[in-house]
Amino acid sequence: MGESMIKAYIMVLVYIGKLGEVLDKLRKIENIKSIAVTAGDYDIITKVSVETLEELMEVTDKIQLVGGIKRTTTSVIEKEIEL
Amino acid sequence: MKIRIRKKYLFYVLLILSAFIAAVTTSIDGIISYFYISNPWVFGVSVFLVGVFITLFLSLILSVPIGNNKSIGSVIDPSFRRIRFVKKEELKYHIMAGIGNTVSTLGYLYVVSKFVDPSAVLPFFQVVILYLLIVESLSEKDAPTLAETESSIIVTFGAIMTSISLSGEVNVMALLVIFLVMNPGWVLLAIYQRKLKLMKIGDTHNDSINIRLWNVIFTTVFTAVFVFIYNKDYFFEAINASFKFYPWLSLTMGVTFFSYVLYIRALGLGKASISQAVKASTIIFAIPLSLLLSHYMNFSFSASPTLLVIKLMGIILVVLGVATFALTEVRAYVFINAQGDKSIKELMDEIWGIRGVVAVSALAGKHDLIAKVRIRTLGKGYERIIRRLEGIEGIEKFMWQSILKEWEEI
Repeated sequence: MGESMIKAYIMVLVYIGKLGEVLDKLRKIENIKSIAVTAGDYDIITKVSVETLEELMEVTDKIQLVGGIKRTTTSVIEKEIEL
Repeated sequence: MKIRIRKKYLFYVLLILSAFIAAVTTSIDGIISYFYISNPWVFGVSVFLVGVFITLFLSLILSVPIGNNKSIGSVIDPSFRRIRFVKKEELKYHIMAGIGNTVSTLGYLYVVSKFVDPSAVLPFFQVVILYLLIVESLSEKDAPTLAETESSIIVTFGAIMTSISLSGEVNVMALLVIFLVMNPGWVLLAIYQRKLKLMKIGDTHNDSINIRLWNVIFTTVFTAVFVFIYNKDYFFEAINASFKFYPWLSLTMGVTFFSYVLYIRALGLGKASISQAVKASTIIFAIPLSLLLSHYMNFSFSASPTLLVIKLMGIILVVLGVATFALTEVRAYVFINAQGDKSIKELMDEIWGIRGVVAVSALAGKHDLIAKVRIRTLGKGYERIIRRLEGIEGIEKFMWQSILKEWEEI
């Protein structure tokens, strides 16, 4: 055991001028598996991997508490196919 | 704290490290065959016989747990937990990879044993990059783009130019063995090791340490059986040599182990052809090592100005080709909303079938699906991804998010 069971994408909107600061803080949060800076409706797309829904809430909380973040949108992955 | 680096660089870091280690082993092999075991057949079998034990020994050390369900080996490959037996579903892939390695090795041994100086023909082994490109062109999912094909050709020619010699004889038979035996063998090895790496074992990806261990075991058995049938004297001589020169043989196979483990891990991150092309940088690292050997051990190293110019041009081509691979890549997330008249499962399969899509996830939330896309140019993103998505019935809307920079946990 010990393998993560729940994966989710958390999309982040950032206040203008705060991107660098937000990225530095996000990179320190445990359970975030990838962080992508994107051009489009979202500024940052993170992928998290946790063992329980409660842990997912904790990660979301940590992200929301990062200064400079305007809004987050969480989408839990139900099924995934990847290379 | 965990380390997050940009994944596309991880691929190149792994391969260039692997290439460097491979250059070191080539030099050690040179020393062994020059001073200790001159018969290539005897060398080939004895190196694998000792290789089984040293690989097993290293895999056992790497299996030592360091807490949190991790072992020492998980530093090299996070998918590794501990040494294990081959699973039933892996067996046929291991057999194919073992046959591939055996065929390629036997082809090599034949060339170096039959021809006095094969140094003018052996560089054509690098054409294996193009073989892999052709194999990938046949599979919809891995088909190479124009930029990849161009860069692969540049690297192949560069690698041939860098490693060719002016002294060797160009022999048709040797070339035939390289093109029809060695290279196809290596293609089998690369393709099946990649398949093994991409397999899911339990709920995690397969690990490169067990893949290498079992490849050495299968290859040793196949090679030993072949050489036993071909010439029993060589086989018994090889057993003798294994005992006599085990420190040198252990050294070369121990170092080779790490080169392969990094290479196999990279195979799980990128295409086999590109992995092979980046790994061709071995020949660049081999040059200073050959110079060192020629200085200290009286090995021959041609310093002909013509050859040096050719080698320099070759190095430039290899570096240019590898840099093009590394720098021309576009990644994006595509958020998709379904109409509701088609099952998400069906939509997922259709999207997964699009070339360039490296992951598809079905979501609970604002969007129904997210596809992750990896392509060479934005233009390809339109032709290959957007136009295909527009053609899929059941998609209500989609939103393209280009990735500007990305970090992934390693």
